Amino acid sequence: MTDFFNQFMPNVVANWTGDNGMVQGIWQTLYMTFWTTLIGGAIGLALGIALVVYDENGILSNRVVYSILDKIVNVFRSIPFIILLSVVFPITQLLVGTTIGPKGALVPLIIGAAPFYARQVQNTLVQIDPGVIESAEALGYGPWTIITQVYLREGLPDLIRTSVLTIISIIGLTAMAGAVGGGGLGYIAVSKGYQRYQNDITIVATLLILVIVFIIQGIGDLWARKIDHR
Amino acid sequence: MAYEPIIELKNINVTFKEADREVHAVDQVDLTVDKGDIFGIVGYSGAGKSTLVRVINLLQRPTNKEAVVKVNGDEMLTLPARQLREKRRNIGMIFQHFNLMNSLTIADNVNFALKKSGLSKVEHTKRVAELLDLVGLSDKSHDYPTQLSGGQKQRVGIARALANRPDILISDEATSALDPKTTESILDLLADLNRKLNLTIILITHEMDAVKQICNRVAVMDDGRLIEEGELLQVFSQPRAELTKDFIDTTTHIESSLAVVEKQDIVQHLKPGEVLVKLGYVGDTTDQPLITALYDKYKVSANILFGNLEILQGTPVGNLLVVLSGEPKKTEQALVFMQDNSVSVTVLKSGDKEVQSND
Repeated sequence: MTDFFNQFMPNVVANWTGDNGMVQGIWQTLYMTFWTTLIGGAIGLALGIALVVYDENGILSNRVVYSILDKIVNVFRSIPFIILLSVVFPITQLLVGTTIGPKGALVPLIIGAAPFYARQVQNTLVQIDPGVIESAEALGYGPWTIITQVYLREGLPDLIRTSVLTIISIIGLTAMAGAVGGGGLGYIAVSKGYQRYQNDITIVATLLILVIVFIIQGIGDLWARKIDHR
Repeated sequence: MAYEPIIELKNINVTFKEADREVHAVDQVDLTVDKGDIFGIVGYSGAGKSTLVRVINLLQRPTNKEAVVKVNGDEMLTLPARQLREKRRNIGMIFQHFNLMNSLTIADNVNFALKKSGLSKVEHTKRVAELLDLVGLSDKSHDYPTQLSGGQKQRVGIARALANRPDILISDEATSALDPKTTESILDLLADLNRKLNLTIILITHEMDAVKQICNRVAVMDDGRLIEEGELLQVFSQPRAELTKDFIDTTTHIESSLAVVEKQDIVQHLKPGEVLVKLGYVGDTTDQPLITALYDKYKVSANILFGNLEILQGTPVGNLLVVLSGEPKKTEQALVFMQDNSVSVTVLKSGDKEVQSND
């Protein structure tokens, strides 16, 4: 087994542990994905819900608030991520004290992921039958109960599906952030694999990313199917 | 029954502003519903029925300042949000498409209505079981809505609407998505609840059959306005507005069968002394052997071409299309005799001359 690895992927073996090694890359990718999903997800979810309830037909219908939120989301969704990375540089420095490494990548990652997720959440929640929302209003429930008990509960199966989609794009973003100094598997694949002609590293890094994606996709699909009663 | 108003709507206007015009969904409506009524509101889709009933629990606010919305004597329009929500729990509502939550079981859907009830967990379970029993769905409590038929889903909707023991139930086209048999069973259930719980019911529908089956009062709505309102029997036997007549005809088929009847040979070639008449009668009149009397007294025979008999709230209401034939003079006398016996007589066509229908 060891012979196999030594023969076919010598560079992977040589760079498996240690600084900027494969193992560290995996952890850095997971680190960036986890925190971006958690913080960006929370911001995106809140924004997405706000877009639905402040919408013209929403339970808190407010044209001004809606159009402000809508424009913010649009602007940040429109900036290509690779440019966003450099644009938010000063904010990153201010917030986390560094602009390199996985930690430095978090700020642009969150700013990139949150509006994307917000749109996903919005698209999911507007599909919930307005009649169900109205019946909750007729039962005398206020916005908080309707958001937590109706929107989030009725929308949960689809929210899980869009969350999986978002996490997978976040993994994509971490690879890009890695390329400009964020670390992680993306960084390793580019700077150690591609730029140094060590193809085995590129391939293994790619496979590792695919494994992470498949695991997340699998868990998400199973979970969504289990709670979906439509 | 004492007439005690439970819902009073006055000067209700609901105007939606669209890009290039204003839509008067509800136009200057006054409406009073008494406790214990089953009040039908009929009209075609787009007439403003749904908008009007949503004013009762203020899911839709009137857009004019003069509007008055009183439920159980309380002015709803000035209530702060929290109290308004509490009042809404006293007004149950069921919908055409049931509006159940697909992610919850039947029991949880009903339980959902009890979130603010302050009941203990045990009382919750008990109340839900009670409600499901009331609508005949005890065995379905662990199923999900998608596993149920339309009629069963509406029963869950009813159980949910009744969870907080409301005085009023608003039914917004609740039977419109159901087949006739299921419709009937749901209407029976509503009538039953009206009696058992002294529940006041507002029934919006475009089906006159539904109104006929359970309502004691009816209002007809067209283009945002209430064009006719009254006791079911009165509206049914003496409709004033054309639209009301149209709606009534959807269940009696008298007007629509007139076209067919008029094509028949006997009607096409009426001889002198023969008339085609529409006879309408309510209640006791029906029991008299009227047709026999016509022959005994005037030697006028009656050929019934079409008939419809309804029992509305226990009172028979009949409509007949009849050709009377006899001596011309005797036929005239027979018509007068019938009018004297409180039968409404409309001569549609007579042997010597044609008469315009004007009833």
